[in-house]
Amino acid sequence: MNGYRPGPVALLCALLVAVFLLMPLLAVVPVSFTPSRMLSMPTGALSLRHYRTLVDDPRWLDSILLSLRVGIVSSTLATLFALAFGLGIWMFRPRFTAALVGFVLLPMIVPPVVSAITLYFLLTSLSGIGGFAGYDTWPGVVLAHIVVTVPFAVVLILVALSQVDRRIDLAARGLGASTWERATKIIIPNIKFGILTAWLLSFVLSWEEIGVTLFITSVNAITLPRLMWMGLRDNIDPAIAAISVILILITVTVLTARIVWRRARGPA
Amino acid sequence: MNEAFQKDCLEILAEKVKRGEITRRRFAQLAAMLVAGAPLALRATHASAQAKQLVFVNWGGDAVTAYDKAYGQPFEKETGIPVKQDGSGPTEGAITAQFKSGAPSWDIVDADPFSAITLGKQGMIEEIDYQVVDKNKMRPGFGWDYAASSYFYSYVIAYDSEKYGDQAPTGMADFFDVQKFPGKRALYKWGSAMWEAALLADGVEPEKLYPLDLKRAHDKIAAFKDNVIAYWGGGSESQSLLLDGEASMAIIWSTRGSLIEQDSGGRIKFIWDQGLLSPGAMAVIKGNPGGRDTAMKFIASAQDPARQIVMFDMLGQGPANPAADALVPEDKKRFNPVDPANASKQIALDMEWYSEHYGPALDEYTKIISA
Amino acid sequence: MAARFLHPGAALLLAPLLVLLGLAYGIPFLGVVKWSFTLPEPGLGQYRALLTDPLVQSVFVRTFRICALVTLAAVAAAYAIAYVWVRGTPGQRLAAEYCILVPFWISVLTRAFGWVALLSNQGLINTWLRATGVLSEPLALVRNEFGVVVGMTHFLIPFAVFPIASAMRALDERVLLAARGMGAGRTRIFWAVFVPMTMPGVIGAALIVFVFALGFFITPAILGGGRSVMVAELVYLRIFQSPDWGLGAAISITLVVIVGALSAALFRYLRPSQMAG
Repeated sequence: MNGYRPGPVALLCALLVAVFLLMPLLAVVPVSFTPSRMLSMPTGALSLRHYRTLVDDPRWLDSILLSLRVGIVSSTLATLFALAFGLGIWMFRPRFTAALVGFVLLPMIVPPVVSAITLYFLLTSLSGIGGFAGYDTWPGVVLAHIVVTVPFAVVLILVALSQVDRRIDLAARGLGASTWERATKIIIPNIKFGILTAWLLSFVLSWEEIGVTLFITSVNAITLPRLMWMGLRDNIDPAIAAISVILILITVTVLTARIVWRRARGPA
Repeated sequence: MNEAFQKDCLEILAEKVKRGEITRRRFAQLAAMLVAGAPLALRATHASAQAKQLVFVNWGGDAVTAYDKAYGQPFEKETGIPVKQDGSGPTEGAITAQFKSGAPSWDIVDADPFSAITLGKQGMIEEIDYQVVDKNKMRPGFGWDYAASSYFYSYVIAYDSEKYGDQAPTGMADFFDVQKFPGKRALYKWGSAMWEAALLADGVEPEKLYPLDLKRAHDKIAAFKDNVIAYWGGGSESQSLLLDGEASMAIIWSTRGSLIEQDSGGRIKFIWDQGLLSPGAMAVIKGNPGGRDTAMKFIASAQDPARQIVMFDMLGQGPANPAADALVPEDKKRFNPVDPANASKQIALDMEWYSEHYGPALDEYTKIISA
Repeated sequence: MAARFLHPGAALLLAPLLVLLGLAYGIPFLGVVKWSFTLPEPGLGQYRALLTDPLVQSVFVRTFRICALVTLAAVAAAYAIAYVWVRGTPGQRLAAEYCILVPFWISVLTRAFGWVALLSNQGLINTWLRATGVLSEPLALVRNEFGVVVGMTHFLIPFAVFPIASAMRALDERVLLAARGMGAGRTRIFWAVFVPMTMPGVIGAALIVFVFALGFFITPAILGGGRSVMVAELVYLRIFQSPDWGLGAAISITLVVIVGALSAALFRYLRPSQMAG
C-alpha cells in the first residue's frame, strides 16, 4: 500500500469536500439549543427544551423505535433480495439482463409521489385480503420500504460484483463446486464490503423515507419522519435538530469506540 | 393553498401553548364553557352500531391536539364515539385516492371548500345534511352543498414598520409599489389570493373582481417578478422571510400575523385592508367507514360557538359561527379575520370560481414565477 | 459463457426479487400506466398535452439541468473523499469516515434550514465575507438555483461515496504495482489506471445520484425560493394539489422512459459487461 497514499492535491480536494460536508452542522447544532419554538438560531440564552421534548413526549420515542424496527427488517430483507438477484445476474448472465435490471430499478426511477400512490393502492388491497401487511401497519411499511430501497441495494451489489475476478469463479466451477458453494464460499466473501454498504444505504433510505410512508400510514404506524412531518411542509419543531445532534453523537461515539477497540487489540 | 395554511395552524397552536399564551386556567375555562354551556341535542336517531369511531383528517402537527381538544373530546363525551385525528393532510388527490380505493379509511376532512365542490361533483363527497347541520350557524354565503363552513383565515399584508416609519401601506397598490415602499417582497407559492392581490393593485374594483381576469393578473405578476425575493410555501417560511429582513413586505396568513408581531417585538405589523378572506370547511367522504349520519352529527357539534373559540384561541382561526364573535376577548379582536370591523375591509375569495379555474390558473402562475 | 435463461440455479436466485417487485409494484404500476391512457378520456391526449405544455417542458429542462450539475458535483466530490477514505493513512481514513457518516443523520428539513441559515443574505457566509471586506453587497446564494444545487449536492455526496468506495476497495493492487514497475508516475497511474478501473463505481454512483435527484422536491422548494419547480414537485401538483391523474401518470411514464433510454445509452457506451462483471 505504500506509495499509493493520496498525494497533497488529493488531500486538499478531500479536505474541501470534508468542510463542505460538515458545514450545516454550524447551523444544526446551535439550532437544537434554541430557546424558541421556531427553527431559528438562538440569540442569547441556550436551552435544552427540545432535548427534553424528546424525553417527555412518548410519541418521539415510539416513532424512533418503530423506525428502527422497520429500518432493520426492511434493509436486511432488501439486501438479501438484492444479493440473490445480483448473484443470479453475475453468475448466470441470463439473456435480457438489461431488461431485468431495468425492471428492478423501476421503483427508483419513478417519482416518489407516484410510487406512493402505487403502494397505497397495493396496501389497501392487501388490507382487504389479510390484514397483516396492510395499510397503516408496520409490516405494510416494511413491504413498501423494501420495494423502494431494493433498487439502490441492487446497484451497490452489482458494483461490488463488477470488481470480482471471474477467474476464481471459473476455477471453482472447474473444481466441481455447486452454485451454492460458489456463491457462499467464493463470491460473497469477496463482496463483503459491498454487501455492507448496500445494507447501510437501505437502512438510511428507510430511516429517512417520508414520501411513500406519509401516504401509506394514518394513525397507527407512525415512523420518525412521519412524526416530524405530519403533513406539515415545514414543520419547524427544533426537536428534529435535537434528534440529528443525538444521532450524530451516537455515530461519532461508535466510530471512536471502534478505533479504541482496535487499538486495544494491539497493532494490526 | 389552503392546505398548507391549515397545516400551518397546527404549528401555531403549539407555538402559543409553549409561549404560555394559553394558560391552563384559560383552558379550563374554555373546557367548562364547552361542557356546561353546549346546548346541543345529540341523540342518536338510529340504533345503528356501525359508527364505532370517526377518523378526522387535518393537516397534522399540533392541529391534531387542537381538533382533539376543541371538537373530538367533547363529541366523544356526548356520544361515546371516539374521534381519531390523522394529520397526514387531506389534499384533493389524497381524498380522491381514498375514495377510489373502494374502502376509504377517512371519515371527515378539513378540506378546501373548492376541493370539496370539485370532488362533490364527481361523486366522492357526501352532500351536507342540512337537517342535522344548521345553516343558520354559518355566515351567509358559506354553506356549500358539499362542505360545511368551519373557520376563516385571511391573506394580509405584513410589513416592516421600522423600515417604513410612519408610512404604513394601505392596500395592494402600495404592496406593488416599490417606488413608494422600496424593498423586496414575498408572495404565496400556490397562487391563491395572489391573483386577487395583483388585480386589486392594478386598480380593479373589489366588486368587479370575479370572474378573475387572469391575463391581467399574470401580466402584473410577471412584471413584478424581480421584486419578489421568494414565494413561500408554508407559514414558517413566510415568517422567517420577514423576521430575517429578507422581505420588507409579504402577503401572509392572518394566523401568522399575531405570532410575527410578537416574535419581532412589534416590528412586523399587518393590516386588514384589502385582505383576502378565505374559508375553511369540513367535508365527508362518500362511503366513509363511520357512517354518514355520525359524521354529520360531528360537524353539527363543531358548530358550537364555545368550541370554535377554542380553535380561535389556539390557532387564530376566525370562527364560522357568527354567534362566536361576541365571545372573542376584546384585546384579541384585532386578530379575528371575521370580526365585523376587520371583515368589512376585506374581500372574500370565491370558492365556486376556484373550483372551476384553480388548476389551470395555478399552472400558469407556476410557469410565470419559475421562468 | 453461454447465456443461460432457465438454469434452475439462475431461476432460484433471480425469481424472489422479480416476483416480489412484479406483484408488489409492477401490477399496481400498470394501473398507473393505464391512467395515462385513459384519464380523463381514452387516448394519447395526455401525452400530446405533455409535449405542447410549456410548463412541463420548462420543468423537464430545469430538472435535467439541475440533476446533471448535481450529479457531476456530487460524484466528483464523492470520488475525492472516497479516495482518502479507502487509501489514506489511518488518521485520514478516520476523518473521512466521520465526514461521510455524520451528514446522514441530519434530516432533510434540518439540512435545508441549515443551508438557508448559512447562505442567506444575513447568513453566516455572507456575514463573514462582508466582515473580511471581500464584498460589500451580499451574494445571492440561496432562494435560487445555486442554493438548490448546493443543497442537493450536499445531500447526495454520501450516497455516491458508497459505490465508489466499494469499487476502490476491491481494486486489484497488482495492476497498480505493474504500472509503477513500468515506470509510470503517480499522476499517470491515477488517471490512466486507477480511475478507469473504478469506473463501475463511478457509474453506479452517477446513476444513484441522478435518479435520486430526480425525485427531490423538498430541498428545491425550500432552497429555490419557491421558484425552482422540478419534475417531482410537478408530479406532486398533478396528483395531489390540483389533481389530473392522467397527466401526472403521463409525466411519470415519460420520465421513466427518458431515464431508461439514458441508462441504456450509458451502458452501451461503456463496455456492456462492466456492470455485470
